[in-house]
Amino acid sequence: MSAVCLSSVARAYDGARALDDVSLTAPNGHVLALLGPSGSGKSTILRLIAGLEPVDSGEIHFGDALVSSRSHTMPAEARRVGFVFQDYALFPHLNAAANVAFGLDKRQRAERELEALRWLDRVGLKHRAHSFPHELSGGEQQRVALARALAPRPHALLLDEPFSGLDPVLRAELREITLGTLAETRTTTLFVTHDAEEALLVADRLAILKGGRLLQEAGPRDAYDHPNSHDVAAALGPVNVFKASVENGAVHTPFGAVRAEHLGGAASARAVVRAEALLLRPGTQARLLDVRPSGAHDLARIEAQGVIWRALIPPRSALADTVDVEIHPSGAFAFSA
Amino acid sequence: MALAAAHTPRAARTSIPTSWSAQGILALAATLICAMPAAAVLVLAATGGVTGLNIDLLGDGVLGTLGLASVGGGGAIILGASAAWLVSLCVFPGRGFFTWALVLPLAAPSFVLAYAYASMTWAGAAPIAVSGFWGAAFIYAFGLYPYVYLAARAAFMSQSSCALEAARSLGARSRDVFLRVALPLARPGIVAGGALAILEIAADYGAAQHFGITTLSTAIFRAWYAHGDAIGALQIASLLLIAALVFLVIERRARGRAAFAGGSTRWRPLPRYSLSPGVAVAATLFCATLLVLGAGLPLLWLTRLALLHADISELARPMVNSLSLAGVGAIIALALAAIIAAAARTGGALGKASLFAAGMGYAAPGAVIALGALALFGLAREAGIVGGLGAGLALTALFWVYAARFAAAGVQPIDAGLARLSKGLDASARVLGANSWRRLLRIDLPIAAPSLAAAALILFVEILKELPATLILRPFNFDTLAVQAYAYASDERLLEAAAPSLLIFIAGLAPILILSRGITRSRPGAR
Repeated sequence: MSAVCLSSVARAYDGARALDDVSLTAPNGHVLALLGPSGSGKSTILRLIAGLEPVDSGEIHFGDALVSSRSHTMPAEARRVGFVFQDYALFPHLNAAANVAFGLDKRQRAERELEALRWLDRVGLKHRAHSFPHELSGGEQQRVALARALAPRPHALLLDEPFSGLDPVLRAELREITLGTLAETRTTTLFVTHDAEEALLVADRLAILKGGRLLQEAGPRDAYDHPNSHDVAAALGPVNVFKASVENGAVHTPFGAVRAEHLGGAASARAVVRAEALLLRPGTQARLLDVRPSGAHDLARIEAQGVIWRALIPPRSALADTVDVEIHPSGAFAFSA
Repeated sequence: MALAAAHTPRAARTSIPTSWSAQGILALAATLICAMPAAAVLVLAATGGVTGLNIDLLGDGVLGTLGLASVGGGGAIILGASAAWLVSLCVFPGRGFFTWALVLPLAAPSFVLAYAYASMTWAGAAPIAVSGFWGAAFIYAFGLYPYVYLAARAAFMSQSSCALEAARSLGARSRDVFLRVALPLARPGIVAGGALAILEIAADYGAAQHFGITTLSTAIFRAWYAHGDAIGALQIASLLLIAALVFLVIERRARGRAAFAGGSTRWRPLPRYSLSPGVAVAATLFCATLLVLGAGLPLLWLTRLALLHADISELARPMVNSLSLAGVGAIIALALAAIIAAAARTGGALGKASLFAAGMGYAAPGAVIALGALALFGLAREAGIVGGLGAGLALTALFWVYAARFAAAGVQPIDAGLARLSKGLDASARVLGANSWRRLLRIDLPIAAPSLAAAALILFVEILKELPATLILRPFNFDTLAVQAYAYASDERLLEAAAPSLLIFIAGLAPILILSRGITRSRPGAR
């Protein structure tokens, strides 16, 4: 195992920038989650690390070893990285055991088969060793793909939205199995997802990307509590936004003030308030438009001065038609606009 | 089998371990192999000038080909489109069986059907007298309707059920749904299939010759053998080639449009009409008639004659010759088709050029390509590159013609195999440490193997059925099954022609059944 380190990496397709000056480190034995919408460049990062594509500029290191630079690309087959593709890319003509054994070519045949079975056992699929991919369920295919990627003991494991095709219950279960296996094997992992909740759950470190640029790299708690931009705050959960000038060190929204001393007397600023940072209690400050159940929280829509915000509130809150609103400072941020 | 000719180059992907330039050279060579005989015909015909033109022969040939193409081709279009509509969108007894069985007439080349019906007529056993112009048109209509049937059925099956349901919910009766919605949507498919049927009619030599019709194809032979007029033959061939290219373009463009007619991506079983009992029985009878006249009756008749007069000793040599020609020829054509399919997948100009050249070779009648190859060897001999046209050289020319003519028929099945090799699988094997040879041997070849086998079978049978090019280029006294059937039929010894005809027919059934099943399954949600 070794750390994976990108320095100032750039990549373009037909002149269109897919990745622009990105520097990142996946610490040795930890999980780095890459979060961003489609087209943010997160899958490109995995392909560059795997050596499936060359970098246009910048460098990629595994530990001390340089694997990609402008002048040199170590071939993918020599890199020893594990890759779990979004569609799993299991070989359709090989059974589960043979798929897992594919990367173990340096050993005796019997030893190889035993090793493959050990890995299938580890992901709870020993009994499916002789099934072909089309006979496996989506979740089983994902676990075979994970075992296949880990079996050759890679320097690093790359997971490209590995749970995206699965239903929510199975997804949570597989996440547990995957994280458990990764922790046991202490594998350096890069995990691509566009699901904020999933990223926060799995990550030791979190990198948020947009349009091929790295917006912020931080621990998950830190990124959530101290986003460095409106985009990062919005990427990690639902937010409300209000634009106004800074007066007396704060942005004054219709629902309350958000502290903004660090912006000085900026003419235009943007207050970004997480939906769960709005506390509602009986009062007259705002109109309560409606309340709907939304899982662990209820989603309320409130209106004041013609502005409508959304608030996540404890379920079954007894509220009248009008409410007072308090903005909890831990979920309220101000950025220059 | 011309249903193989469609092809859409997709995004680049081959992991065949050749460097870019090596692949480029192979693609260029494939293009030249396919294009050179046809190009030679055009160039040499043009250098012949107009003075040598055999106007009478040319005029008769044009009239004969036009007449047979309109009557025989028109018949094939009406029969094929009606059958496709019935099995795709109506319910009647035997529908499931007819869905795949209606393609069976494609197994027999036109000359085999012609010999079967001629001997039936001679014996007074035919339901109608099959002879002369109308006899040839009958053979084409009932032997070639499956081209239209397949293309039209694919078009009907790929139609969004939503459009048809919408028409019904708007109150359209079944006849109106057919005329105003389904037929216009399927028209590109019908045009494409009709163009293929007409290509086959223009290329046919054996049936037209047997019924004594002068067509462009038979005129080539007449100019060549009876008049000893090489330039005249080349000029007739060039006209036939140009006509074939026009129909090839029509077919490609229609097929291109057919691809856009799909519309909605939501698939449900197509809503089928239940017919009233009387109409349902009529539908069954109609389909049964097509199947019986196109395949069943001639197959039974040929079997009966062959059993009456089975002379194994006379069949043995032609059979060995046919099998070895078809075996070696199929391997060469398969290699050529694989190069073209791989080049086409890269999406480059050379890939497109090789694909077009293969399509041109495929559309061109066998006699035309054979003349082109012969002319090229003639030029090479004048230049002192090769010696006289001995047996070895004749076989070389024959394999060249088979490859140029049939490579296109192998491209689509191979392409379908390459399509199963997703980019992800290749990347997956690479990150697991497999080098390019290991990826080829462990991933690409095993996954593509069924498609390669299908392509090889198709090519094998195409070559087995080929008549005119084999007639022109075969070494002296080298008979194949097709040549033997032709020789007996020319001598009016139709009883003896039955056994080789039957063998060709039976060999032809295998790839037809495989392809038919593949097409039935191609519609998502098809049962």
